[in-house]
Amino acid sequence: MPAIILADSLFGPFFRKYFFYYDSYPLVIQIAIFLTGVAIVTTVVAYSSILLRRGRGYLVDARTKKINQFLDNLITDHIIFNEDVMSGIALTEVQIDLAQFQKPIFKQTWVKQALIDRLIYFSSSFSGDRNVLFRRLFIELELEKLSFKKIKSISLSTKIVGLVELTSMGIAVADVIILPLTNSRNRKLRSEARIAYIKLSKNDPFKFFDDATEPLLLWDQLELFKIITTTEGLTIPNFARWITYSTNKSIVSFCLKLVIHYNQHEAIPAIVKLLDTKDHYLRVDAINCLGKLKAEEVEERLILIYNNQPLRCQIEILKAIGRFSTGNQINFLRNEFLRSTDFDIKKNAARSLIKHGRQTKEIVQMLIDTATPESAIILKHCMNPLIKY
Amino acid sequence: MSDQIEKNQQILLIDDDELILKVINRILSREGYEVKTATNGKDAMELIEIQKFDLLITDIMMPYSNGFEVISKFKQHPNAEGVPIIVISSVGTENAVREGLNIGADDYLRKPIMPDELLIRVRRFFK
Repeated sequence: MPAIILADSLFGPFFRKYFFYYDSYPLVIQIAIFLTGVAIVTTVVAYSSILLRRGRGYLVDARTKKINQFLDNLITDHIIFNEDVMSGIALTEVQIDLAQFQKPIFKQTWVKQALIDRLIYFSSSFSGDRNVLFRRLFIELELEKLSFKKIKSISLSTKIVGLVELTSMGIAVADVIILPLTNSRNRKLRSEARIAYIKLSKNDPFKFFDDATEPLLLWDQLELFKIITTTEGLTIPNFARWITYSTNKSIVSFCLKLVIHYNQHEAIPAIVKLLDTKDHYLRVDAINCLGKLKAEEVEERLILIYNNQPLRCQIEILKAIGRFSTGNQINFLRNEFLRSTDFDIKKNAARSLIKHGRQTKEIVQMLIDTATPESAIILKHCMNPLIKY
Repeated sequence: MSDQIEKNQQILLIDDDELILKVINRILSREGYEVKTATNGKDAMELIEIQKFDLLITDIMMPYSNGFEVISKFKQHPNAEGVPIIVISSVGTENAVREGLNIGADDYLRKPIMPDELLIRVRRFFK
C-alpha cells in the first residue's frame, strides 16, 4: 500500500479541506476520489499539451508559408528571371545578386534552413542553366557547410537530412564520409547513403556493392534502379563482377535486374553459373535474366535441369523458352501443357507456345480442338493480346 | 512582329504544384500571354466551361481527375476545337509519353522543366 500512503500524504489535506466527509469515507471511495482527481488532471494536461503543440505547429506553418513566399519571389527574381541568363551570357559570366540573400533575416538558422529547402525544391522543378545557378547560389552562400555539419551529427535523422540536401544539390562528398553510412544499421540512412554514393561518387559509384553487408530491400532496389538509370554521365560497369563474387544475395539479384536493363550479354557466363546456386529465389532471377537477354545458348541446359527444379524455377524456364522462341522446344512445351496438372505450368507453357507465333499456329489450333474444355480456355486466355502477365 | 501575334493569347495552366504554377505563370505572363491557372482537373474543367483558351498546358498526376482525363474531356468540348495541348509531367516513361500523345496532346515536356524550352515550345504554337 505504499502508493496509497504516498497519495494520502500528498493529496489527503486537499481532499480533507474540500471533501467534508473524506475521512469518514471507506478506503475504496477515497481511492476512487483520488483516481478521479488524477484522471481529471491528466486529461487537462493532455489536452493543454495537444492544444499547445497544435498552436505551435500552426504558428510554424504560418511562419514557413510566409518566408517561403518571400524566398520563392527572391529566387524567381534573381535566378529564374536573371537578366544575364535571359540575355544569353555564358553561365560562368552570370552574376547573382548575393547581397539579396545575405540580408540580416538570413542570419536566423530557420530562415537559412527554409532557403535550403526552397533551393532544393526549385532545383527539382527546374533544369538547365537555372539548375546550375541554384547549385552555385547554394555553394556561394556556404549553405553546404550546414549540410556537412548535419552529416557529422550524432542524430541519425539529422545525418539523413544532411545527406539528402547534399545529394539533391549535387555537392560532392568524400567517399570516406559516405561509404561507412552505406552499411548503417538504420534502413533509411543506409538507403540515402547508397543513393548519395551513386550520385556523387566521382571514382567508382558502385564501390559500395563490394562491401554491402546489409540486404538491399525491394524498395531500396527500386530507388537505386531509378537513380542509376536516370543519373546522367554515370559510367556503367559490367555487373557480372558482383554476380560472380558478391556474397550478398540481394546485390546479386539487383545486378541481374541491371544486366537486363543494360542488355549486358557479356554477363551471360556469370549468370549461367548461378543456375547451380542452392538458393532457388536467386535461380529464378538468373533464369528470368537469361530469358530476357534471349540467351538461346542456355536453352538446352534449362531443359536438362527443368525436372529437378521447384515450381517457381520451372515457370521461369517455361517463360524463358517462350522468350527465346527458337522452335526447338515446341514438343517440350506441348507435353508440359498436356501433362501438367498445375495451372501455372499449363498457363505458362501455353503462353510460351503461343509466343512462338507462326511456328506453333497449327499446333495451338490442334490443341484447342482436341484439349479438354479447361485446357482450351487456358489457351484462348493466353491468345488474348490484352491479357499480360 | 511575332510579339504582336502572341499578345493576349489565353493559356490555361493546370498543375497541382503551386511553385511550378506560380513560376510558369510569371514566365508566360511576362511574355504577354494571359494565363489562367487551376490546381486540379475539376477546377480546370470549370474554367473550360466558361472560357475559350488558345493553349492548354497540363500536368498528368493531379488530384480529382488526372491530366489524361482533362485532355480527353477538353478534346470533346466545343470550346477546345483545334486548341493545342502541352503536357508537362515528371512521368517520363515511354508509355506515359505515348499515351499522352495518343490521347491528343501536341507536345510532351518532362519535369524538371527548362523555362526557356517551355517558352520556345509555347511560341511555336502561336506562330
